Amino acid sequence: MSTLARLSILLTLAWRSLYSHKAKNAIVGLIIGLGSMLVVLGTSLLDSIDRGMQHSITASIAGHLQVYDANARDELALFGGVTMSMPEIGSIPDFKKVKTALEAAPNVAAVVPLGMYFAEFYTSTEFDRAIEALRSALRAGTPQQVAAHQQRIRSMAALLREQFVNLLQYSSDRVELQRQLADIETVGNDAFWARLATEADRVVEFLDTKIAPLVDAEDALALNYLGTDIALFAKSFDTFEVVEGQLVPPGERGLMINQTFMQDVVRNRIARDLDALKLEIIDRGKRIAADPLLQARVDRMVRQYRRITFQLDPVQADALARSLRALMPEAQGNVDELMQAFLRVDDGNFSARLDFFNREIGPRIRLYPFGVGDVITIQSYTRSGYPKAQNIKIWGVFRFKGLEKSMVAGAYNLMDMVSFRELYGQMTEDKRKELAGLQAEVGARDIKAEEAEAALFGAGQQIEQQQKAGAGISIDERSDLRQTRLAGRVIDASRFDPKTLDDGLALNAAVLLKDASNVELSALELQRVADEHQLGVRVVTWQKASGMVGQLVILVRIILYVAIFIIFLVALVIINNTMILATMERTTEIGTIRAIGGQRLFVRVLFLLETLILGAVAALIGTFVGAGLVGWLGQVGLPAVHDVLTFLFSGPRLFPTYGLWNLITAWLAILGVSLLATFYPAFLATRIQPAVAMQTRE
Amino acid sequence: MATSVELKSVVKDYPLGKLTVHALRGVDVVIGRGEFTVIAGPSGSGKTTLLNMIGCVDVPTSGQVVIDGQPTAKLDDRGRTSLRLEKLGFIFQTFNLIPVLSTVQNIEFPLLLQGRLGKAERQQRVAEMIELVDLKAQVQQRPNELSGGQRQRVAIARALVTQPGIVLADEPTANLDSVTGMRIIDLMKEINQRQQTTFIFSTHDPRIMSHARRIVHIVDGAIDPAAAAPGAGA
Repeated sequence: MSTLARLSILLTLAWRSLYSHKAKNAIVGLIIGLGSMLVVLGTSLLDSIDRGMQHSITASIAGHLQVYDANARDELALFGGVTMSMPEIGSIPDFKKVKTALEAAPNVAAVVPLGMYFAEFYTSTEFDRAIEALRSALRAGTPQQVAAHQQRIRSMAALLREQFVNLLQYSSDRVELQRQLADIETVGNDAFWARLATEADRVVEFLDTKIAPLVDAEDALALNYLGTDIALFAKSFDTFEVVEGQLVPPGERGLMINQTFMQDVVRNRIARDLDALKLEIIDRGKRIAADPLLQARVDRMVRQYRRITFQLDPVQADALARSLRALMPEAQGNVDELMQAFLRVDDGNFSARLDFFNREIGPRIRLYPFGVGDVITIQSYTRSGYPKAQNIKIWGVFRFKGLEKSMVAGAYNLMDMVSFRELYGQMTEDKRKELAGLQAEVGARDIKAEEAEAALFGAGQQIEQQQKAGAGISIDERSDLRQTRLAGRVIDASRFDPKTLDDGLALNAAVLLKDASNVELSALELQRVADEHQLGVRVVTWQKASGMVGQLVILVRIILYVAIFIIFLVALVIINNTMILATMERTTEIGTIRAIGGQRLFVRVLFLLETLILGAVAALIGTFVGAGLVGWLGQVGLPAVHDVLTFLFSGPRLFPTYGLWNLITAWLAILGVSLLATFYPAFLATRIQPAVAMQTRE
Repeated sequence: MATSVELKSVVKDYPLGKLTVHALRGVDVVIGRGEFTVIAGPSGSGKTTLLNMIGCVDVPTSGQVVIDGQPTAKLDDRGRTSLRLEKLGFIFQTFNLIPVLSTVQNIEFPLLLQGRLGKAERQQRVAEMIELVDLKAQVQQRPNELSGGQRQRVAIARALVTQPGIVLADEPTANLDSVTGMRIIDLMKEINQRQQTTFIFSTHDPRIMSHARRIVHIVDGAIDPAAAAPGAGA
């Protein structure tokens, strides 16, 4: 009863004191409210970023957990590690064993085999296509077309000749170059083309085998791919979506191309450049005239004009030249010159030129060098460094739905596991037998790939040149590649039995959980299962497996916590100082309470109670304002004004949400800070001597 | 007559920079129960210090203070606070009401600090006090809505509500006009006579002195024996 009565007078005193010191409490309340609002905002944004990132990573490639070789030298980094080089993550030699053991665990929904690897592939050159067009014109027997393509090939050969004449001045290997130059000059002769009438096949063959290999392949594109069980992958990752074509059927080999990769890497360079300029000029409001980077971009685009004109046959070229002259009446020259003039865009004409491109040029050219149904040739190096080429069919184009703008969107294309294993260099049973037979025949020693170098150099033999993984491709090699490509454009290997898909190697595996609320714990549990079965693998969470990306989230979190800490510190200091001033103002009141019999504890509790009431109310208001702000941002979205933000937001806008937890944490944290800030002023108050009440004022 | 307050050789020194101020230089005073005593003296003579000693809001450098038969030397802050709450009532020159509390709440406050009485008893006690100081019309007013005299009457009620044996009044009329001041003095005298409460004033108001049964003159921190004749004014 007495405590209750004392509490009631404390509450009355605290409440009324708060009310009577409005100015002071308005300041303190404002800081508390602002602090709690910022904490709600900050933690909600971060949690939303975290969730977005988690979604984009776990629902696209990583799964909830990743499994890889326990003896791997490097840590698994799905989206790039600290270094640029490919991490050495070892391999899982017997994937089936791992899958069987892990899938038996109660919380595991799926174990998807993965193998990240990379290849280069060469799209066919315009010269190749011109030959192809000539061949079909000959077959169709349309002399007009034949003449048009003949003319196109001759003009290409003339350019090639120029290039070789230049090359000859700097090269040391003049003999070979002169022989090649002679071949090129042959194409310039009318006599060569006269043979078309009598021995067309020989002419085309000459072009195909002698001239085409001399044409610089367009950029070798790096193709990052993920060997996987494509059907299981499609089923396990819910953002996966086929946008064109179909899934690689079970038992078939093939590639699924990533839509983002198609758009951003494979598409015609000029179309991509124009899109990039559109983003900067129209969406972001930059000006070419004021931005040297954009000017450089335009210059580069102008130099690429052949990526369009080379694709046109003479009829198309004439038509385009007419349209271009209509668009730019002042421009002079042939289609090449007109195209260069066209591509020299400025701030004034950019959107008109972009329209023209989409309307007149886009439909006349191939924007993509390949598409669904095509077979492309890719070249890779096996793990032990042997070059390996393969023709592989593109079955479909896919995307990760909702993650088109995220950094993971275009990271990987998908390949069937069997083709992956071959490119990676894993021997199939048949190949092993075949090789064993060959070795027996020639009496070769069985040398492990890793020891090959030692075996070669240890013997002291002079080896002039050692082909290394990642080295440039020599002309000879390219012709090997070309041979693969010309091998009838058929898919190399046969179908395989889908049941054998899991037999063999995987580099790592994604584990999808039924309940992913605590991935850390699940990782530990699965690690225990793996150790029990002696699988020789380590189990890591998606955060850990995603490499720098996961660390970036941690970094952002640290920055936020430091920011919150600073906010708290500032709040602490301001509240503390304000309260000290207020305490000094209330010296007589406190002295009186002490004189008439109030204990120090009473004074301390009174001060803390005042802050508690003020803090609770102000923090509550601030928390709700913060929640409202997050709610509003969740509606309109927070624009990512910078690439780093696009990356963090997993898209062009972040639509944050808050959880009850954000609100409770913010409320409690700021309340704690306010109470902490009151301890010293409250202590000072308890030190006020009761005698001050007695001091006579004259 | 029982002893209410007894001071034995009380010395109080204050450090003031490098100097030491000798506020009290060995004071011996005995005040009996029910006395109406004035402590008189010029400014700076040490009368407030003396009152602080009696009120246990400060501790002597040496000497003894005995309140109601209880020596205070060994009491800590907590003990002295309890003693003030139980045995002493305070009336201040500047009234020192708690600004955020109403008349009733200010009067009830010491009872709440004691926490001994039930709500009904508290209300009863407060009602008696209000009756005594004649503030029925002002029970819900806050101090800033009251006149000086009314405030001092609230303060008197607050000081008396716990029925202390001793009431200390520090220049209680200094901030009041003379008519009001006289009324306050009359009120206190009436209570003194009715309840046998010991009243100890510090003042240099001759009108109060004229009412005192006893005047303790203090000069330069010591009792002026010449002027310390008991019953000088009464």
